[in-house]
Amino acid sequence: MLKKMLTSMKSIWPEFQKHKQDVHLKSFYTFTDYWHLWTMSIFILVVTALSPLCIVTLIHYQLIQKSVDSELNLRTERLTSNAKRSTTFFMKERLDALIFTVNEMGYEQLTENDMLAEILKNLKLGFGGFSDLSVFDEDGAQVAYAGPFNIKGKNYKCQPWFLQSLKKKYFISEVFTGYRDVPHIIIAVKSIKPDKSFFILRATLDTERLMETLTSYKTGEHTDIFLVNHKGSLQTPSTNYGNIFTQTDLKIFNYSRTTEVSMATYQEVPVILGHSFISTDMVDTPFILVVQKKKAGLMHVWLKLRRNFNWTVGISVVLIVLVITFASTFMTNRLYLIDKAKAETMLQMEQNQQLASIGQLAAGVAHEINNPLAVINQTAGYVKDLYSFKDEPRSDAEIIENIDSILEAVDRCGTITQQLLGFVRQFDIKIKKINLQKLVSDVLSFHKKEAEYRGINVTVSIPDTIPDMETDSGKLQQILVNLINNAFQAVDEGCCLDIIGSQIDTKTIEIVIQDTGCGIPEDRLAKIHEPFFSTKQDQMGTGLGLSITYGLVKKLGGNISVQSTEGVGTCFTITLPVKIKEGELV
Amino acid sequence: MEHGNVLIVDDEKKFADMLAKRTELRGYHSEVCYDGRTALQWIKKHVDSVTLILLDLQLPDMYGTEVLTRIKEINPAIPVIILTGHGTERDQQKCERLGAYKFMHKPLDIDKLMTILEHIRETPEC
Repeated sequence: MLKKMLTSMKSIWPEFQKHKQDVHLKSFYTFTDYWHLWTMSIFILVVTALSPLCIVTLIHYQLIQKSVDSELNLRTERLTSNAKRSTTFFMKERLDALIFTVNEMGYEQLTENDMLAEILKNLKLGFGGFSDLSVFDEDGAQVAYAGPFNIKGKNYKCQPWFLQSLKKKYFISEVFTGYRDVPHIIIAVKSIKPDKSFFILRATLDTERLMETLTSYKTGEHTDIFLVNHKGSLQTPSTNYGNIFTQTDLKIFNYSRTTEVSMATYQEVPVILGHSFISTDMVDTPFILVVQKKKAGLMHVWLKLRRNFNWTVGISVVLIVLVITFASTFMTNRLYLIDKAKAETMLQMEQNQQLASIGQLAAGVAHEINNPLAVINQTAGYVKDLYSFKDEPRSDAEIIENIDSILEAVDRCGTITQQLLGFVRQFDIKIKKINLQKLVSDVLSFHKKEAEYRGINVTVSIPDTIPDMETDSGKLQQILVNLINNAFQAVDEGCCLDIIGSQIDTKTIEIVIQDTGCGIPEDRLAKIHEPFFSTKQDQMGTGLGLSITYGLVKKLGGNISVQSTEGVGTCFTITLPVKIKEGELV
Repeated sequence: MEHGNVLIVDDEKKFADMLAKRTELRGYHSEVCYDGRTALQWIKKHVDSVTLILLDLQLPDMYGTEVLTRIKEINPAIPVIILTGHGTERDQQKCERLGAYKFMHKPLDIDKLMTILEHIRETPEC
């Protein structure tokens, strides 16, 4: 169980971080930066997976927000309408009562104080909210009074309410304190006497009843409901704005008969503001009913929902990121292990190929040596024959001549072994000065007999002025051996092989190896640098030669390109730096 | 000569000369040609008397295989031994297909050659 857990832990552990330790495999890796691969994979997957989630969440939020807003609007509008109806009814009912009283009683009866007191009593009983009644003549003099305040005989000619009442038949005032220093509302009804003069019946209403009416609509601590006049001054106390007569900072509303709802902020808290102008069918009032609802209070259900939703989204995001991270680590690990196995195989193959190159060289050397050996063999055999077949001693001259032949043939063998030793030794040396002319002629020397025998016309054109290269001679040699071997395999008898070296600029040397051989079909040309790809189907090509050559050129900091036409020939172009930097060499 | 005529075709002069001298010492008449054309001319003249041809694959003027083909055109009965320092398996197969009697590598053991020559003399029809 524990072992299983450890194994599964290992598969999600970022093992690929070790790839930088495998320096010897570096050049064979397909991917150079596994951290980058890993982070990119996580980034792309996370973005792809989370974008729809985030978008859906945002859309969801907006939808909810919208529906909550419209619900709040609707509620506020309903509340405002209801409160307006009550307030309007409150005013209208009392105005109607006064109109009825005036029409029913007439001036004579109303000016009797007892009668007036009786009427006030009845009004208080029937409707409530009335605090006193008084009758005024045209000049603003108080003719009769019933009520608790001793304000008889005062002249109201200059009072604003009186001036207003003169203009209209009915009048409802704002809340004011007046002489009695208590907030109240005046309702006045103007009536024409039979003598065409007029009088005014005035009732004062205490604001208590009105406030009660409004307070009854208050639902919860987040709702504020109050009256303001057209200038925005409070007419009833407000939870938010304070006591009566306080000037609010509400925007002056434009007159409208209907209830209106708008969004606003109160002390930077979002609120929904409903307002409605209060007017009866007979007279307008100076009041505007205002309902202010704090959004937060109404939205707590939604906020709770959103909190749950946020938790769900948050946990999902964490889970998704975790799963993606683990999956990416797992995949990158697998990729790394496969890549590592591939790199190790490639390294192995390169070593094998190097051995194969040496094998090919050995074959060339054997061929080269065979001829002088054959001469030695026959000449020495002949010298022996001279003594075995004929009794008479041979003249010195012929023996010496034959021994000279043997020595000459031994010299030829010696030259070849020297060349081979010089050649093989280069596999050990890392960076050294190389004369390209010499290197090419060394490589070609092992193909000399084959070229002669097969009638292949090999031309080398490397100018004497070409600078000595400083590079890994073993690798460069292997590149040349591989490409020249390839060319020899590709060409038929009597074809041409050209090796052209030239200096492109002070830092770069170009080597072109072109043959007039069978060429490579176009569809295969792109693949020839891939490992295990071989065009030599009927022969025993491993498909590694060019792949390794490609890798070697890259290691030397160079480039290799190939042009080929089937049946016409192939041309490999290698560009290499004249001087390779020590650090660049793997 | 008593035993027969041997033609040695090889551009390696020293080798050809020495081999000729040694076969002569062993009772054969030897003729040496250093290139294909001379060899073919000689064969045309001595088509009936030639016992064996030793033929190198690398000749300055033509391929050994081509010379072999021409020889077989002149007389398919003449035994031809291919003697080469470079021979690959493919060469061997090709030569055998063309009718070479034997495919031998340099350096050449003279005793082996003598054994083959004796064998040819004993069974002239091959």
